[in-house]
Amino acid sequence: MKRFSKLAVPYIIWAALMLVLPMALIAMYSVMEPGNSIISFSLTLDHYIKFFTDPDFLLILWRSLLIAIKTTIICLILGYPAAYFIARSSEKVQNILILCITIPMWINMLVRTYAWIGLLSEGGIIQRILGIFGLGDVELLYTEGSVLLGMVYNFLPFMILQIQTSLSKMDHSLLEASADLGASPAQTFRRVTLPLSLPGVINGITLVFLPAVSSFFIPKLLGGGQYFLIGNMIENQFITVGEWNFGSAISMIMAVIMMLLMMLVRKIETRNQGGKGAKA
Amino acid sequence: MKKKRRTLGKALMILMIAFFYLPILYMIIFSFNDGKSLTSFTGFSLRWYQHMLESQDMMTALYTTFSIAILATIVATVVGTVAAIGLSSSRKVIRNIMEQVNNLPMMNPEIVTAIGFMLLFITFKVEKGYVTMLLAHIAFCIPYVMLSVMPKIRSLDPNLADAAMDLGATPFKALTKVIVPQITPGIVSGALIAFTMSVDDFIISYFVTGSGVKNLSIVVYTMSKRVNPSINAVSTLVVVIITIVLLVINLAPVIAEKRVKKGGAVKRKRWVPAVAVCCVLVVAVAALQRGGITGKDRPFEGQTLHIYNWGEYTGENIIGDFEEETGATVVMENFDSNEQMYIKVANGEAYDILVPSDYMIQRLIEEDYLQKLDKSKLDCFDKLSDAVLGLPYDPNNDYSVPYFWGTVGIVYDKTKVDIEDLEREGYNIFLDQKYRGDVYLYDSERDSFMMALKALGYSMNTENEAELNEAYEWLVQCVETMDTEIVTDEIIDNMAQGRKALGLIYSGDASYVMAENEDMGYFMPETGTNLWSDAMVIPKNAKNPDLAHAFINYASDYDGAYDNSSYVGYTSANQEVMDDLSGEGGDYEGINAYIPRTGNENDEVFEYNADTKKIISDLWSRVKIAASNAG
Repeated sequence: MKRFSKLAVPYIIWAALMLVLPMALIAMYSVMEPGNSIISFSLTLDHYIKFFTDPDFLLILWRSLLIAIKTTIICLILGYPAAYFIARSSEKVQNILILCITIPMWINMLVRTYAWIGLLSEGGIIQRILGIFGLGDVELLYTEGSVLLGMVYNFLPFMILQIQTSLSKMDHSLLEASADLGASPAQTFRRVTLPLSLPGVINGITLVFLPAVSSFFIPKLLGGGQYFLIGNMIENQFITVGEWNFGSAISMIMAVIMMLLMMLVRKIETRNQGGKGAKA
Repeated sequence: MKKKRRTLGKALMILMIAFFYLPILYMIIFSFNDGKSLTSFTGFSLRWYQHMLESQDMMTALYTTFSIAILATIVATVVGTVAAIGLSSSRKVIRNIMEQVNNLPMMNPEIVTAIGFMLLFITFKVEKGYVTMLLAHIAFCIPYVMLSVMPKIRSLDPNLADAAMDLGATPFKALTKVIVPQITPGIVSGALIAFTMSVDDFIISYFVTGSGVKNLSIVVYTMSKRVNPSINAVSTLVVVIITIVLLVINLAPVIAEKRVKKGGAVKRKRWVPAVAVCCVLVVAVAALQRGGITGKDRPFEGQTLHIYNWGEYTGENIIGDFEEETGATVVMENFDSNEQMYIKVANGEAYDILVPSDYMIQRLIEEDYLQKLDKSKLDCFDKLSDAVLGLPYDPNNDYSVPYFWGTVGIVYDKTKVDIEDLEREGYNIFLDQKYRGDVYLYDSERDSFMMALKALGYSMNTENEAELNEAYEWLVQCVETMDTEIVTDEIIDNMAQGRKALGLIYSGDASYVMAENEDMGYFMPETGTNLWSDAMVIPKNAKNPDLAHAFINYASDYDGAYDNSSYVGYTSANQEVMDDLSGEGGDYEGINAYIPRTGNENDEVFEYNADTKKIISDLWSRVKIAASNAG
């Protein structure tokens, strides 16, 4: 197979240009004085200092992380049983269910989110239904709840699909073996199914957490003007304020935080696998 | 026990599917709505489908979305597969490094990736448009393809290719005949992921696009919240397309199987019909989109006019009519704030016409971005209302021709708000506890500060920091004690449905609200308001100023101006159109919001001042943070 290694060369060049260089540019812009050109510029850490010394900015960052964590937990709680159910169905049913979950993703995400505005708004269908139970006065739209709902709605499919993939790869004879050896279903689940599905869970968490922490149109559409997250802040810097250097600095901060979090998650994953090995 | 758990699982699954499809169902239903509202269904009609077919913008966006998705999928799948095969036989160091590199777009928040692409294109002066969007899509799709191909290659016997070559196959043959067939499932699922990511992408496309190239997401987003229900019609169309594609994919093998029943083994190439159907659809949409009539002898045949305008700010027919009359193609891009427009212009993007507001025109003139109009080519000035000509930002109208104008005021529900309260308190009604939880603020820093400053009796153009701080305190008090909602254009639909008692609103939007709901009124406090105007200007770097002048004439002329004003609801700068629409039998007869107030000495026109603007922006973002902490 060695002779195929040349096939990778064009992609390595492409990746350097299209994947590495952009990140390098963000890093560069983030330490440049505003208005400098890329050829002659002076370095500064002002943008980072500006961010970390302003309690309001930190509050926004904190809130963004918090809502992303909430979204991820809800998606995990809802997504795991669903994925489990799908993975245990017959192959035909599996295919249909997966299709059912994928199709909505082909219809524009923004349009689907828009529809929620109509559903949740005052006098909308959901409020009218709640009204029957005497809860008609509950505000649904432009609350943290509506932002959370929008995020779960948009990102839950990623979680389900990832977990389902790793569950369906699982060898079913393992379950039988576990049962034969006297394990209760709960034990089998905890000792066999759960560890084996962990890579899928980790991938799912990544795929939900990342877009949730940086989303800016969901808070904008469902949270109203007063719901501001870090993604909105970055968008603002680039689209309406025009302070690209500060915007780049915030992006860098986000990227680094994400990297650290992901490393942490990976570490938990490898430690878990290591532990398993030791037991065996 | 087991059965019980299955039933529980089934119930969960059904609920979840319902959850996923509820908004889609809602969207389909409202695509048939007669009214413009997104929340109240007023009757069955196909008008939004008609609007969609007539709207070049939407058909082009549909075409862009799918053509980019298909091209990006094909390229990403081929490149990704080849690269994955190559990498799997490369040295481990390279393989590990590339894995990390591929993780960059996957392990970073999408907005960071998007900004990286944007900076890349801007730094190297690549003109943003279709090509940049396609490149970005290919770039973020390839890692996903590789991710799903790699494991399949790893599970291959490494000696397989060698064996094939020992048996006399060329490397190419070994690759295509031996390796690729073995990893096909990985390739197909990779392609599927790439397609899904590309079709649904918004953030990356939003940051890397330019020159008026838009996919569906961008169209929806830049519509801001002035909803145009034809987007529901487009999405319903997408649902239909997908359903057809799926049916074909699932039925084709069955039919094929029947035909070749005798022929033994059937290869189930599920993706072949899918690709075929997609190609046919793209061609169909493309044909539909380009199927205009090509006449001759028109003055601007084959030329292109780039307009950068507010979202939903033109009539239904004006663009089509203008194109038909002149033979030119109009490319319209939309912005939702003056600042957004300014940044694009300041970054050197070329447009032929912009439609900024008063203070922004002043700024653009001061910073030398605009060219003087050639008045010998314009025949529109004597048709325009005197009240909107010669305003301080451009005293001789050397640079600008007014488009819409109006005021800012309070929209209120006559059944809930006592008019005496309004007359007595003016803007201070926004601090009146009687209306707690029943008010909308508008997410515009200028107009919110205008309201606060006018409530306090100051000029809205004040440069006095103490006065600005007082206004800031006023606004903070408002958001902290009144349980406000800060909205943008959703105020239009919400007030038309009578959801709150009070809101700060642009007069043009109030006209629409009042035309929809007769319980609504529009009030301008005596302490003054913002007398604003949006006008057409031609930037210095315009590529086709002649055509731009022609459009300015066209949009100011009776027919064009009538179409704009009657559809959008904003007051036309054309005096005759304004008189007709507000007069007997006009669309806005008896609606006071349609006729801007003149003669109140407290009313002002916004002026641009860089320092003040910065202070106000900063304070306003703090007001919003206070609001989100109060909620």
